[in-house]
Order: sequence, then C-alpha cells, then structure tokens
Amino acid sequence: MNARRFGYQDTPGFGYQDKILLLQHGSSELLALAQRRGATLSKLLTGTSIFEQDLHKPHGRLHHADWLKLLHNCQQQLNSPELAFLLGSALLNSRYISLCQCLQASANLRQALAQLWYFRHQLFPAVYATVYLLPQQQAITIELQPAVGLANQQPFVMTVLCSLLLNLLKQQLGTTEGINVQLQSGCSAKQLQAQLHWDCAVNFNQPCDSISIPLSLWQQPFSDADPEHFRAARRSCLQLNRVLPRQRGLLEQVCRLQQRALPELLSHEQVADVLGLSASSLKRQLSQHHTNFVRLLDQVRRDQARRLLQQGHYSNRQLAQQLGYSDEHNFRRAFKRWTGLIPTDFKGLFNFN
Amino acid sequence: MWQQHRYKLLSSLLLLLSGLLLAIHSGSAKQATEFDWLDILGEGTTLLVACGWLGLIISSRPAGRVTEWLYYGSLLLVYSYFLDLLDEFIRYPDAIRLMSWLESLPAPVGMLILTYGLVGWHREQRAINRQLQGRELFLRQHQLIDPLTQLYGAAYLQAVLQREIELHQSQHKTLSLLVVDIDNFSQFNRQHGMAAGDAYLSQLSELLSSQLRHSDLVCRYAGDRFIALLPDTAEPQAQIMAQHLRQQLPQLSDSNNDPATTVVALAVRQGSTKAAFKAAEQALALAKQAANFSYKPA
Repeated sequence: MNARRFGYQDTPGFGYQDKILLLQHGSSELLALAQRRGATLSKLLTGTSIFEQDLHKPHGRLHHADWLKLLHNCQQQLNSPELAFLLGSALLNSRYISLCQCLQASANLRQALAQLWYFRHQLFPAVYATVYLLPQQQAITIELQPAVGLANQQPFVMTVLCSLLLNLLKQQLGTTEGINVQLQSGCSAKQLQAQLHWDCAVNFNQPCDSISIPLSLWQQPFSDADPEHFRAARRSCLQLNRVLPRQRGLLEQVCRLQQRALPELLSHEQVADVLGLSASSLKRQLSQHHTNFVRLLDQVRRDQARRLLQQGHYSNRQLAQQLGYSDEHNFRRAFKRWTGLIPTDFKGLFNFN
Repeated sequence: MWQQHRYKLLSSLLLLLSGLLLAIHSGSAKQATEFDWLDILGEGTTLLVACGWLGLIISSRPAGRVTEWLYYGSLLLVYSYFLDLLDEFIRYPDAIRLMSWLESLPAPVGMLILTYGLVGWHREQRAINRQLQGRELFLRQHQLIDPLTQLYGAAYLQAVLQREIELHQSQHKTLSLLVVDIDNFSQFNRQHGMAAGDAYLSQLSELLSSQLRHSDLVCRYAGDRFIALLPDTAEPQAQIMAQHLRQQLPQLSDSNNDPATTVVALAVRQGSTKAAFKAAEQALALAKQAANFSYKPA
C-alpha cells in the first residue's frame, strides 16, 4: 500500500486547533455585521481565544474551534436570518480578500471557479466540492461537503458559500436564471431570505448542499473581466500561500481516498497508513470531528450512488459493482436505508423533475 | 444598565452595613440552640427575593423617576427584612425599642413607595405603547424583532396579518398593504459597502414608521423589502398614502446616488396570508416593470 497509488499529495491535514483562518477572511466582516445589529463585541468573542486588538491585524488568525464558536455566538445573540446571506456578499466584495478580487476580475465563471478551487484553503478550508455533469439538464453541479466536522454550523457555512457564488453570478452575469440551489437545511425564515437575496430556484430539505449551473453560463464573459487586475490579484493570492499553506481537512482527505479507491473498500488501517497516522490516532481525530470511519465510508458510497443515478441510466447490478457491494440486493438495501426509496423510484423522481 | 446606578448601589450597601453595625452594637449573640431554623429559612427566603427585585430593577431599568421610586421602595423592604433576619441571631435588651421600630416600620413605607412606583411604571408603559404605535399591533413578541431596523420581521407580520384578515372579513372592512422595495439594493451595497447599506435600511425604517398613521404597522419583510399593514383602509386611500411616501422618500437621499425605491399599494382580497403575500409580490413585479411607479433620484 503506497500513497501514490491513491494519487495522494503529501499535504498534511489540519485540525480544529490549527490557526489556519485569517480574521480578515470572514470573522471581521461577520463581527461588523453583528455589531451593527446591536450585538456587543465582548459577548460575541466570549469563549473564543480572539482578542479585540487582533481583529485589525492584517494577518491575525483563528482556528476552526473559534470560528464555530463565533458563528454560534452570533446566532445566539441575534435573531437575524439574513446574516449568512449578507456575509456571503460582504466577503465577495471585501477589499481585503485577494481571492475575491481575483474572482471578480476573472474572464468567466470557469476561470473564477478554478481560482476558488485552487485557493479554497484561504477562504473556505472547511468545505470541499465535488463537480459533475448532469447530461440531461445540460448543467454542471457543484456539490459542497464539509471537510471538517461543522456540527450544527454546517447550514450557516454552506449558506455563506452559496451566497458568495450566487452574488458573484448576479454581479458579473446579471442573471441567476437556470441556476438551481439545493440545501439540506430548511426553515421558513431561511426560505424567505433565500427567495429575496438569491432570486433563483432553491430547494430545501435536500439530501445534499449543491448548486447546479447551466453549461451556457460557464463561458459567458464576466462584466468586470480585467486580465491585468486578475493577474495582480492572483499574484497576491500566491503570496498569501506562503503564510497559509495548502492544507486539507481530515474528512475531505478520508472521503477522497475512499472515493478514488471505489469499488475497492479501504480499511481503517489502510487509510491511516496513507495519511501517515496510526490507526488509533485516526480514530481519535475522527471522533473529534463527531464522526467515525464506518460512517464516512457509508456517506461516500451514498453520495456516489446518488450522483451516478442522477447522471445516467445504470442498472442496480452496475451500481452495486461500482460501489463495491457484493450483490445488488445488498446495494438495494443500503439505498433504501439512505433515502427511504428503492433505486428505481429515486431515478423516476429525478427524471420527473 | 447597572453602571448608571453606581451611587445607589454604594449607598444601599452603606445603609445595610450601618444596620448590621447598629444591631451588633446594641445586642448580644444568641446561642446556637436558640435558633429557630424554620423562621430563619422563611425570613432568609423573603430577603433573597427582595434582593432579587432590587437586582432586576438595577439591571433592566434606565435612570429616571419611576426607577427611583421602584428602587427605594424595594430597598426599604430589603432593609426591613434584613434586620428581621438578624434578630434571629441577635438578642436585643428589652429597653431598646429602636431595633424593633427599624424592623417593622420601613416595610409598609417601602410597600407604599413601591406601589407608587408601579403606578408610574403603568403610566410609562402606556406612553411607550403610544410610542410603539405604527411598529406593533395586538401582539408583543420580542424574539421576532429585526435587530437592525428594530421593526418586526416577516414571522410577526404573518401572524398579525392572519388575524387582521379574519377580523376585516367578518366586519366587511377593507385591509390594504403597502410594499416598499429598494431597487438594486445589492448593487448599492457593493458600491458603498455593507455598512452604508445597513445605515440606509435603518433610516428608511425610521422614515416609514414616522410617515404612516398610528394604526398602521410597518414590518421588515426581508432583505430590502418592507411591508406596511393598513387596517380599515380602502385601496384609493392606500394609493394616496403610497404617493405620499414616494414624495417623502427623496428626504432620505443626501447624495445623488441613493437607490431608487418602488412603492406599491394594494387591497387584500385574499383569504390567506400566503395568497396575500403572493399578490403583493406580483404587484411589485408589475410596478418594477412600469418605470413610472418608482421614484428615481434626479
């Protein structure tokens, strides 16, 4: 078993206590929004290790435990469902985030998303994306998944990221037509906000967080495209890479390894080996992220099954083979457990839409 | 809030301390066998509750006359109960009557003062209710207030609208809605920053609640959309109010690049809130298409 076999790059993962987030890449905007809504700074910062005087330092940092606590404090102190939606657009238009400057100056969506993907550790290290084509809809779907355990802040983080992307589209292409957003969460207050802020089709209580964007929008030139500005912004992103090295979350690493290995199923020891951890420390770290190895494995197969079903017409036998089930009955049983539907019904549901 | 009351806290502590010193000076300690634990429990609880009142007043009320009455009334109660508790532990010689007066007199006086304070509080509440008119109808639920504009949000509007629809239908009156929406608000936010956008929203909310009648209710529906509920108002009247608002809106702009605003008035003929909101949305979309409805800065 060697690392190269799984296409694994030797970037070490980060944990909750690694200070890999810049304060200016989100926290300061969030705090400003919350303070204008009447929250007091000292109360927003309670329970975190952030000091008030660090907030304006250009390279002040925080770790994920603090970020999650900050989000928790904001939502506890303020009943403001618009917060996540506003934070996304505030991030996009922030002068201090070179990555967002880079997105805005890109030639088209394809280039912008390539930058966002490449530099994602600078802005959203807690999220990773899987991109796939839906041939029937002529659209590309970007599925967002947590790279670290986000616990009950996952809806907030995903909403911020979706908001950033949709605002980018609205600003640069002037339309969000044909775009479809799916969110796992869904309360009525949030639905209303999404309707007014995003102005596109949004489905709630879905199995995953994803955005599908029609193929026609991907190459459409951005209205603020500026190659000069783009290169300058990208250079400062590259410079920032020296301070914020490319690191991936543990959940992302484990899920990617397993996904690449399908239909083979990896064992706990194999994954620990590739990641350079001992089996017991992998187990301990996963439990810090509120999950365990078996559950992650199950999630990978569930998500892969859903994607395959959406993409094309596979028989149950083919699906079982691709997902590493010994026979199609086992696959059917697992699918029923995941979705409450048998695969054919799910397919029908999807094609009907 | 308690920082406003530092001197009050200090003087109360001194008062209680002087009571303690006086008691120790004039009496002698009882034996442990003489303690009546049931009495101590009862009087101790009363003292704690009275102290709790004092704490609540200090932490929740701004300085002012009503606060003073409430505070000093409770303070006298606390003082009286405190001495009451002390005499469980200290025996006074029969010759000294001062301690028993100090024990029993402040309590009724304190009660009177407290009652007077409560009457003042009742009056104050009526004044505040008048102040809140235009921002609140029959229901009060502070969790539903939008923290930025201090108006109620969509959930509150929905609850109130449902009741008003039923009331108006049973009394055969017309209920109208006024929708105010800022055009291209995200563009404004982008150009001037989120802080300017937030400031504009709170200014707009102030203007709206000052320009409407006392019986109306303004809510921040979501984002840049405000909806006002106009009870017992026919559509022509509502149209006039909308026109009036369109004329008032330029007041807000101190520069030329303020966002344009669309104002729509419509009568509610639907039976459910959902249908009413839908109708409002359609009316707004129509109005946005027809440019002559919207106010544009010169």
